[in-house]
Amino acid sequence: MRRLISVMIYIASIGLVWKALVWLFQIPHFILPAPERVLMTAFERAPQLLHHGSTTLAEIVAGLCLGALLGFSTACLLSISGRLQRAAMPLLIVSQALPVFALAPILMLWLGYGFASKLAMTTLIVYFPVTAATLSGFRACPLSWEDTFHTLHARRWNLFWIVRVPMALPHTLSGLRIAASVAPIGAVVGEWIGSSSGLGYLMLHANGRGQTDLMFAALLLLCLEALLVWTVVNRLSRRFDHHMPTGSVS
Amino acid sequence: MLRITDFDLSYPGYPPLATIQWTVDTGERVALLGRSGVGKSTLLRAILHADRHAAIDVQATQVAYLSQQPALLPWRSVIDNVLLGFYLRGSPITEHLVEHAHALLDQVGLSDFSKRAIGTLSGGQKARVALARVLSENASLILLDEPFSGLDRSTRIQMADLCADLLCRHTVILVTHDPRDASDWLNQAMILNETDLRGPYQLDAFQDDRALIAALDGAL
Repeated sequence: MRRLISVMIYIASIGLVWKALVWLFQIPHFILPAPERVLMTAFERAPQLLHHGSTTLAEIVAGLCLGALLGFSTACLLSISGRLQRAAMPLLIVSQALPVFALAPILMLWLGYGFASKLAMTTLIVYFPVTAATLSGFRACPLSWEDTFHTLHARRWNLFWIVRVPMALPHTLSGLRIAASVAPIGAVVGEWIGSSSGLGYLMLHANGRGQTDLMFAALLLLCLEALLVWTVVNRLSRRFDHHMPTGSVS
Repeated sequence: MLRITDFDLSYPGYPPLATIQWTVDTGERVALLGRSGVGKSTLLRAILHADRHAAIDVQATQVAYLSQQPALLPWRSVIDNVLLGFYLRGSPITEHLVEHAHALLDQVGLSDFSKRAIGTLSGGQKARVALARVLSENASLILLDEPFSGLDRSTRIQMADLCADLLCRHTVILVTHDPRDASDWLNQAMILNETDLRGPYQLDAFQDDRALIAALDGAL
């Protein structure tokens, strides 16, 4: 309850500063609409916003799931062989270093203007942080533990399922937490390049018609979606956080 | 039990350390003393990886190892951690095995803790779980690398008493800084320095701090 009140105060004060800026500098509504105007538009155009919002949310969530799955699998595979890891690392770095903006037109060309290309963009953005975090989780085992497993005559695959995977999982989730905060970028950029639905599309559309208040309403919804996704992932990541002894988790 | 002939102790990237000659017979319980950095832990690790070193011959069917940071999986229960070796080898977890594990937990004073998560235990309790696992492995050679040095003084004394009780018929090598932890249940001490491994000495000789320092400096 206290938390809810403090969140309300937080949001209200942002609204107040916003309103004060608009009023103080006499900013025209087509540059920066006042907060109440944005809210009004949001209510009036709710069905349209929700339609486009659900498209974007689906892209973000599906991209997160697929990216997490692929990233986790990649890290599992690479953890098995050091040689494979050295060979694949440059490719992984490149996949992260290439801006997703640069890849977007190619992905459109290959996958079309529908859901698939946005899913691919979001997945691509999610993939690297999850892979990197999971890999570091596989390396988090202290040397003395490895020695102990050696004296216990651990079989390789038993060790993998009983120790390595559970040990890597919290790292995967903290990677996913970082990924969750950037996943909307993939979805929205994808929609900008070419689409017929989604908040990115709606914003471009509204921009072309000078409907700044609709743009802001869409932006607001995007913020809410991003926060929602991040909160869910954060909760999940906390649940799986078993406290490793100090010095072993990088 | 253990025979080391002309083993050159070294740590990758560092100047070479002592050359080791050492024999440990069955039933001997030895404290391995030495300043930090002389390679006590490296020597212990070399023994547990004896298959990689031609100069080290270990005649043990099973070697158990316990370090300062015991390998206890925080997401598994106490009893699962005692039986971890059996899980990792893929052996079937029989009723008899579980009963035996419960008996061991009873011996280390944790009979009511079998279902508890490792994360909820204190450092001393974790050391007890790790000790129960060492016992469950039925090892003929037990290697301990400062297993209790992270614990407070009174808990360390308790652990030493427990070891005196439970490990008194085993062959043990204990790496330690503090021979007072070991005097009750080990029967000799070896001192490792930069050039060689010396001993055996009586542990009583080091009850006085000055005597210990002198011995570590190689004056003995």
